[in-house]
Amino acid sequence: MDKQSSRPKVFSLEWLKSQVATRQQRARLLIKTIIVAMGGVFCYAVLIAPGFLTIGNGINMAQRMPSIIIVAVAQTLVIIGAGIDLSVGAVMAFCGSLTAVAFCYWGIPVWVAILLGLLSGVTIGSITGLIITKGRIPDFIATLGMMVTVRGIALILTKGLPVPSHFTVVRLRAYLPPQVIWLGSGRILGIPASLIIAIAIVVVGWLVLNHTALGRSIFAIGGNKPAAILSGINFDFTKIKIYAISGLLCALAGIILIGRMNSANALMAGEINLQSIAAVIIGGTNLFGGQGGVIGSLFGAGVLSVLSNILNLHNVQDFAQDVFQGVVIIGVVIIDQLRRRYGR
Amino acid sequence: MSLPVLKVEGLDKSYPGVHALDHVDLDLYEMEVHGLLGENGAGKSTFMKILSGSVLKDGGRIFIHGQEVNIANPQHARQLGIGMVYQELSLIPELTVAENIFLGRWPRRKIFGGIDWPQLVARAKDALDKLGVSINVKERVSNLGIGERQLTEIARAISMNVKIILFDEPSSALSDEERERFFYMIHALKETGVSIIYVSHRLSEAPRVCDRVTVLRDGKKIDTLPMDRADEETLIRMMVGRDVGEKFPKDETKEGKEVLRVKDLTIYGRLHHLELTLHQGEILGIFGLMGAGRTEFARALFGIDRIDEGKIFIEGRRVGISSPKDAIEAGLGYLTEDKLDGLLMQMTIPPNITLPSLRRFCKFGFIKHNDEKETAKGYIEDLGIHTPRVAQKIEFLSGGNQQKVALAKWLCSQSKILILDEPTRGIDVGSKIEVYRLINELSKGGAGIILISSELPEVLNMADRILVMSDGSFVAAYNRGEASQEDLLRSVVAKK
Ligand SMILES: Nc1ncnc2c1ncn2[C@@H]1O[C@H](COP(=O)(O)OP(=O)(O)OP(=O)(O)O)[C@@H](O)[C@H]1O
Ligand SMILES: [Mg+2]
Repeated sequence: MDKQSSRPKVFSLEWLKSQVATRQQRARLLIKTIIVAMGGVFCYAVLIAPGFLTIGNGINMAQRMPSIIIVAVAQTLVIIGAGIDLSVGAVMAFCGSLTAVAFCYWGIPVWVAILLGLLSGVTIGSITGLIITKGRIPDFIATLGMMVTVRGIALILTKGLPVPSHFTVVRLRAYLPPQVIWLGSGRILGIPASLIIAIAIVVVGWLVLNHTALGRSIFAIGGNKPAAILSGINFDFTKIKIYAISGLLCALAGIILIGRMNSANALMAGEINLQSIAAVIIGGTNLFGGQGGVIGSLFGAGVLSVLSNILNLHNVQDFAQDVFQGVVIIGVVIIDQLRRRYGR
Repeated sequence: MSLPVLKVEGLDKSYPGVHALDHVDLDLYEMEVHGLLGENGAGKSTFMKILSGSVLKDGGRIFIHGQEVNIANPQHARQLGIGMVYQELSLIPELTVAENIFLGRWPRRKIFGGIDWPQLVARAKDALDKLGVSINVKERVSNLGIGERQLTEIARAISMNVKIILFDEPSSALSDEERERFFYMIHALKETGVSIIYVSHRLSEAPRVCDRVTVLRDGKKIDTLPMDRADEETLIRMMVGRDVGEKFPKDETKEGKEVLRVKDLTIYGRLHHLELTLHQGEILGIFGLMGAGRTEFARALFGIDRIDEGKIFIEGRRVGISSPKDAIEAGLGYLTEDKLDGLLMQMTIPPNITLPSLRRFCKFGFIKHNDEKETAKGYIEDLGIHTPRVAQKIEFLSGGNQQKVALAKWLCSQSKILILDEPTRGIDVGSKIEVYRLINELSKGGAGIILISSELPEVLNMADRILVMSDGSFVAAYNRGEASQEDLLRSVVAKK
């Protein structure tokens, strides 16, 4: 029989039957239905959210997103390399605080203070990488330890107070530098500068992952460690590089964050660990390494931001928002698993 | 004739871009061993996996004892009396041999329902004894060689007491001796009323075990023949669709300068004072049984395992190799025995091929994707890698085609010294010849090649010189044409 002629008309009853003939097709149909339904609910919630489509809300969201986007890029690299970074929030808080303390209390020039913040991020990340590789400690444990340690150091550094603070006499300056404020809330042609930076970082992250030898090594060590080592890739050095980059990006996100909040404190960015990991997973990166990309994570960060924004607009209570986020994360991962099993 | 135990009608399966099975029919009778042959990617594993419930069919019907069944998953298949030995080993590395053999069917204690360890160990020993192998059942699978893993897997299938066993290249990593015992085991199974479907790329095995053979090509069934009407030539023609010519094309090569000299290499308790030299353009075969230390030697040379004593000279200069990275920089390449150690399953073909030689494909740190793709295309053509597209993920390739990618990776590395550990395992007849041609070309290009193989004809026909290894020592050396199969086997055994 000619295959062309035997194919039933689209959307006829026969077509529908042929679409659900096998278990696999039924599974695929189910997946599609769920995705469309979830997308539909999401769009509906967005459209009916009071004031979602206003410029003010757009700017508000655009200003909140950059830190999570930048950290999600860092987390993507780490996770593709079969690691996980639980210290991202702590590093953000520490590096942000350090920049602020250096400027306000130590009287260091602004650019040096920023540089100091960034360098401290790289240093912390490298130390994490060294602990993991030379100490042969699982990523999860090492970064968990770093999370607590770094947070603690940040608290010591800031004495647990916001910076700049009115309660301390050591301060030389009682304000954050305008350059840092601009990083956090300045605009270029109406677009938040921080968002432009974040997008630029996504682009660089994409380039690194897909077009450089470093990116290839990251995929390789995450996908199959023995194979990577047998192919001559320096596992330890690659791992250290990944965490150093993660540290750098977290530091940048931290500085942007203090600029936006116009103040630094050692306890900020507490929820970013979970959010960055969630963004990466929603974006389709394999939690076990070797597969994924930053574009997906950008999308994931966007979904999470819009979600929390519309929940805010609908006046959903903070605690209930956590429930929503949790459900969305689990739902997305389930769909992802189904898709992996049954194909698109 | 009696009712077939298993009858398959019009079995159909498609993957994106590939029609893996195109309406395939097959029947299997009681006490029959049915060979399933075909090139890499012909659809053999897909066929078997559908029967064992790990892949779902698109269409077609399956009857067991005349009753139509819809096999939903591996447990279901087992309930229906079907067990399978997978081509890609499916053991859990962290568990012991005994636990793996009875995976999910551990004998329980009467009280509290805990695992009955003594019984587990005893029954596992029993299962392996039947195969005539001595593997410590309390050993973790990750510490086993690939041959031992295969035997463990076979023991698992046999111990399931199923009526139909599907063997997907069960013997590819076995030594000749183990293979003999395995064949004996198959005959014994047959006597007890078990039916078997048997996939292998070693055509010489077919007459030893099979009663009938079915040949697949590109997902279509070509024919089913009784074994006495299917000689090797006929089978090859059916599989490949043409005559393949000389099976071991070996070109004369000029031996050049010495590229590698190993002096007194020792790992205490495992490798003893190994010495060898290798010249440009030379193919040096290393023959030995499983456990003789061939793979250990390769690993030591490549910097994976630390050596206790010994010196390595490359092109006359002493080198210290303490990691694969050092080895690659010194000009070595190593195709591992276990292809899973070499491939990034979730990545596509080109990045896998260029991984060890990535630097050559980079400019200012950026990868030249076009060059990479073109190179990959070249190898896909040369080696006949069966794939719908260049950028296909490795996990979607058939087992033999994965092996070809692993090989291409080292062919591409342009190493001066290439260690090939069982390079043609799982590769079909036609492609084997292509692999030999490429090896020839490399050696003509000045590379020195160490060919580790347990396939005697391969070593005898392709190597310029043969070292025989036994118990971690080189026990004999022959020049090309000096030795016969018997000589090699005798020298392996002599030392023991
Ligand atoms: N999960 C999958 N997704 C996409 N394509 C697949 C998948 N599994 C197998 N294929 C394709 O189906 C075809 C048949 O594969 P199969 O594994 O059955 O071959 P085979 O006969 O066992 O070959 P080999 O001798 O190499 O083991 C191949 O072209 C392979 O690329
Ligand atoms: Mg196969």
